Amino acid sequence: MEMQLHGNAWCFGGLLDVDWEICPRRVKEELRQLRGGEPSDEDFGPYCMSMVDPTFAERVQQGDFLVGEEGFGYGHDHHHACQSIKGCGVGAVLCESSTTYFLRNSLNLGLLVLEVPGIFAATSTGDAIHIDLENGTVTNATTSWQAEFTKLPDFLLEILAAGGVNNLLGKDR
Amino acid sequence: MAMTIVEKILARAASRETVAPGDYLEITPTSNTVLAAHNGRAKGMPEMIANGSKLFDPERVMVVDGHIGASASHRAAEGRELSRQWMAAMGVPSKNFFRLGRSGIENMVSVEQCWALPGDVFFQGANGHISTAGALGAFVCALSYETRAYLIRGKTWVKVPPTLRVNAVGEPPPGVYPRDVSEALLQQIGPTGAAGSIIEWGGDYIENLSMDGRLAICSQALFSAGWTAIVNPDDTTTNYVQSRTTAAFDPLVSDPDAKFWKTVTIDVSSLEPIVVVPPSRWDIRPVDAVVGQPVTKGFVGSDAGGWLDDLRLAARVLEGKQLHDEVVLNVTPGTVEVLKGALQEGLLEIFFDAGCIVPTPNEGMECGYNLPLECDDVCIATAQTNYPGRMGSETADIYLSNAAVVAASCIEGKIADPRPYLK
Repeated sequence: MEMQLHGNAWCFGGLLDVDWEICPRRVKEELRQLRGGEPSDEDFGPYCMSMVDPTFAERVQQGDFLVGEEGFGYGHDHHHACQSIKGCGVGAVLCESSTTYFLRNSLNLGLLVLEVPGIFAATSTGDAIHIDLENGTVTNATTSWQAEFTKLPDFLLEILAAGGVNNLLGKDR
Repeated sequence: MAMTIVEKILARAASRETVAPGDYLEITPTSNTVLAAHNGRAKGMPEMIANGSKLFDPERVMVVDGHIGASASHRAAEGRELSRQWMAAMGVPSKNFFRLGRSGIENMVSVEQCWALPGDVFFQGANGHISTAGALGAFVCALSYETRAYLIRGKTWVKVPPTLRVNAVGEPPPGVYPRDVSEALLQQIGPTGAAGSIIEWGGDYIENLSMDGRLAICSQALFSAGWTAIVNPDDTTTNYVQSRTTAAFDPLVSDPDAKFWKTVTIDVSSLEPIVVVPPSRWDIRPVDAVVGQPVTKGFVGSDAGGWLDDLRLAARVLEGKQLHDEVVLNVTPGTVEVLKGALQEGLLEIFFDAGCIVPTPNEGMECGYNLPLECDDVCIATAQTNYPGRMGSETADIYLSNAAVVAASCIEGKIADPRPYLK
């Protein structure tokens, strides 16, 4: 697992529902019809945040970070929203707080989500962000703001490093 | 160290003496896991069959075929077929399949079967409204994407949630039901007020409440961004569980001096019947503010409003009345047990005399599986949620309320105050 992550921030305020703002639920049904099976992360990528900013998925760079407010990933436990974020190349979600389903689905898919109180007020879109998983710190290099978070245990680092929990299933998969 | 009920349950499941909010734990549950038969593709069943996957314990997997029910859905038919093939390939005993005619909404069946026992950790495949079963005093949540990995590895992880304690106190005035109390919490704390937490419901209102009422209240934790919900088990819980199963259980309760993240009090005696106004899930108003809004469809059902208590309430309003000529009211019992209860108590006759439709048990209009909304429809429902497209067309409007408001509105053809019908 790469323990030092660097990328630029994309800030999205307000409430972000997994089935609407992050990736409309109907996209899942449409892609299922189109693919004749379960869509991939990359299939969902172009729709990420499209209800809020239709140009986001085109402009975001590999490894950039989404920065949000309270209750990131509001609503149902639908994981297609996490797939869309991962699929458009976002390296991590940093938020004041996350819904637990969004947090668990994301980490299990290999997408890092960190709850970092104070991050939203301290960050503007375009700021250079550094996440240090080794020491549990996040730094805004543009403003020199820094905060700590609870370090991830080894079993979660292992899931992230594998690119998702399904890649750890070995011969019983 | 004083702990909340959830901290105690998770500590026990992780073989730890104590835990605190924010701790990441690996846990190994001992209870059954329930899967819904309609969404096996999303849970990786085809890949598991192709790979020859081995489950950690096939005996403990329950499959409930009831979410979409006996409808014309080809997707449900495919899911049913896939689930059967998957069970055979994984070695899940056929007695663990709750087929049509023995089933209903999987969250409600899990409760009726007491798969979530007081003091246990209990998982559902995918459906966050399994928080419903927290009313039994268990820690319950959906595995969602992790379902396949969990079924193979036999372990999962949690980030110990902070506990939001809600004290609901006082006597409900006429027309106010558990649904209104649940929405009052959302109104008070907002859509992210419980972000990442577990909602522990208590207070004398909850202590005096029936099991059906507690279940309905717990079903909506995720709309205030809570993970799940729980009620400390008491005599009501124990009587319910012991009347349904001989399984042993070891209940836990919060310590009197347990430290809560936040404590919220709801004075139930000050509430009115409420209506949730679209397109927002958290635009909650007293019914008076929307009286007169025309409606074309009504729905009583879902795990938020498809329990026997909800059907009793709808019947109380509908008895001897006729629905408005231009309104269709769909009353869908959540499970076969609820349907049988409605039959025995004469509720079905009241529904049919009033002109309602009563499909066999399923999730009903929730998700548009049954009687999807057309583009100009305006629906009033006991359903879980109302985002555009939830029950069919994205241009249809969905209002949410208790079953009495739904029934009164469908009689008048416009949103109506149920209180005159409850005298």
